[in-house]
Amino acid sequence: MAYRQCLKRLQQSAATQLASSGTSRSFAADVLAEQEPSLWRSSAAVLHGVNDLRFEDVAMPERVPEGSCRLEMKAVGICGSDVHFWKKGRLADFVLTGPMIIGHESAGTVVELGPGVHHLKVGDRVAVEGGVPCWHSKASREGRYNLCPDLTFFATPPTHGSLSQYIDHPAHFCYALPAALTHEEGAMAEPLSVGVHACRRAGVSPGKNVAIIGAGPIGLMMSLAAKAFGADKIAVTDVKEDNLALADSLGANVALLQQPHASIQDVAAALRTALPPFGPDIIIDCAGFESTMQTAMAACVPGGKVVLVGMGQNHMKLAMGTASCREVDLLGSFRYANTYPLCLNLMESKRVDVTPLITHRFGFTAQDVAAAFDTASRASETGAIKVMFNL
Amino acid sequence: MQRLGRAFRTASRYSTAAPAESTAWHNPAAVLHRANDLRFEHHDLPEEIPRGYVRVGIRALGICASDLHYLHQGRIGKAIVDRPMVIGHETAGQVVALGPEVTGLEVGNRVALEPQVPCWHNIYPRAGRYNLDPGMKYFATPPVHGALARFVDHPAYQSFKLPDNLSFEEGAMVEPLSNGMQACRRGEVKPGKSIAILGAGPMGLNALACARAHGASRIVITDIRDDNLPLAERLGAWKALHTPMMSPAEAAQQLTSLLPPYGPDTVIDCVGHESTTQTAIEAVAPGGIVVQVGMGKDRANFPVLDVVFKELDFRGCFRYTNTYPICLELVSEGKIDVSSMITHRFGFSAEEIAAGISSGCLWKLSLINSNKALKSRASTLL
Repeated sequence: MAYRQCLKRLQQSAATQLASSGTSRSFAADVLAEQEPSLWRSSAAVLHGVNDLRFEDVAMPERVPEGSCRLEMKAVGICGSDVHFWKKGRLADFVLTGPMIIGHESAGTVVELGPGVHHLKVGDRVAVEGGVPCWHSKASREGRYNLCPDLTFFATPPTHGSLSQYIDHPAHFCYALPAALTHEEGAMAEPLSVGVHACRRAGVSPGKNVAIIGAGPIGLMMSLAAKAFGADKIAVTDVKEDNLALADSLGANVALLQQPHASIQDVAAALRTALPPFGPDIIIDCAGFESTMQTAMAACVPGGKVVLVGMGQNHMKLAMGTASCREVDLLGSFRYANTYPLCLNLMESKRVDVTPLITHRFGFTAQDVAAAFDTASRASETGAIKVMFNL
Repeated sequence: MQRLGRAFRTASRYSTAAPAESTAWHNPAAVLHRANDLRFEHHDLPEEIPRGYVRVGIRALGICASDLHYLHQGRIGKAIVDRPMVIGHETAGQVVALGPEVTGLEVGNRVALEPQVPCWHNIYPRAGRYNLDPGMKYFATPPVHGALARFVDHPAYQSFKLPDNLSFEEGAMVEPLSNGMQACRRGEVKPGKSIAILGAGPMGLNALACARAHGASRIVITDIRDDNLPLAERLGAWKALHTPMMSPAEAAQQLTSLLPPYGPDTVIDCVGHESTTQTAIEAVAPGGIVVQVGMGKDRANFPVLDVVFKELDFRGCFRYTNTYPICLELVSEGKIDVSSMITHRFGFSAEEIAAGISSGCLWKLSLINSNKALKSRASTLL
């Protein structure tokens, strides 16, 4: 039912577009209000509000900004956050206040260079890093630009995302794809970056046992990254068995299905048993609920690290006294910084193979956008892990 | 223009080659044309201040050994003065005009200038180590102009407001102090660690002051001259050791006996002579850190087996990153006394600069007198 409603709205807006083409200003005048009229038009998936995702025409600026390049997008993946914005119109403190192009996991081909761009040329295939810092903040200057307060990030309001035929983007955040990688793999560098960043935060290395809570797309990426970082043994756990078989085939040593009425202590004990001799040195929570964090802190070896990546719940009751007495460190991990070159390298050298995670593929029409988002939002029914647009 | 040649002759009167229009920024500067050819002449400023930049009226500037090296040799390593270059990089001044899109600063603000502008788009700045950026533009490292001029344009984000209780001179001293801060960070100086600093010149004294600020209490500083040892003690050295004519082995032995049982945990070599590098490696405790700040010969002999057997970290130290805010705070809170290192002061004219340069000492000089320097149209704004 929701799918049909969504499709109807998309078809209506596309029809209106066709009727008014070339005459009055497009719907996108609100979307990109300050841009000059130009010959460049781009079809894009634009989020207007809760459950209101439209396939419409946007105007591109006449001139590519200095330091940027214009990209023809080729592959864009859907992330849980994109679905969340579509369903709820907000994510934590980020609230949709106007039309915004959705999508942030992407790769494309350079079609035009802005002034001052010398390290890329027209025709280069690139993976696109969607978070651009201001460089002058304390965080950026100290090498943690993911924490820059003025960072703009694709499809985090009010910054437009990349599920669009064309985008303009700073050239220094476009990374040339090695010949062996597809655009889809380039797009997958984004979620893989989340995994790589968390592994760096945690210090995953040979000699460390790693437990990963949550076998969704991020948990599975995390497992791939932890393996690439040389973790001794990796255990992945979830309350649903959907993806645990895949986790197994992706290189996890143990795939642990939690029993329906297992207590926190039961699950923690099972994780410790799964990773002898002492249990997990590092636990990466990719679900982010009170229950999973309680589990993580109970399971972690003394002196170990719990890394919170998942954003399930904000406020949680946690046994901090116990964690403190066992000197278990709690580390947040947010997006990523300085990961793209490594991710591309990991995929090119085959230390990481992301293709099994791409479960559904769509083209780029109004119908495709509706169907893709519907598929992604009902992952437990559709079996979707990564839904990928091929533009 | 006037040439300040080898004998530092000065012409009778300064005259500018700049156009006499009232809209031109009258900008005398000390310009190095080649080794031993320093001229006091007009230096063009851009007609429009670049986006994000501020125009600063320079009020205090310190001279560093590297400035003198460029002056006398015309180069440092591969950096060669092959076209005229304004010298000087340790500086503070007052904002006289804003470029477009400047936020956070206003005309009249007193600022210390961090003399480097990274390009931000390679892995080093992105990883927080912008001092290593190959695209770095650094004041008075050829071909980038320095700041011994009446006015300088500089990015607003690298212009740090001086606390109210800091003089311009103290603001300028934040630059050499930053080198000391970087050395202490590279050396992991912290409470409980014993520290040896080789060389009690400006670099050593700044490292000493920063080591105290980092919480080290057992700091031994050495020098082959004893001139600065009393000042070193005032700046917080536990022991200031005169080490004339000592071999590295002897000097190392002295340090170990002063800092038992194994010698200093960190040694900061602020001299860079082959003998001091050797001393540092021989003196440092097993598992310790040697920080090489001083720059001497390109190739040096040193006991590499000591590095292996003692599992030492032998770490280079180059300029600094993210030190201006903390250094300004430390000086403002009275935790570091930089004024004590300023020994000579000169004004801003051909004669004064010549006198300052030819005084021959490496002590921090303070150039540019206060009010006379701002005679252009900017003075009405202040």
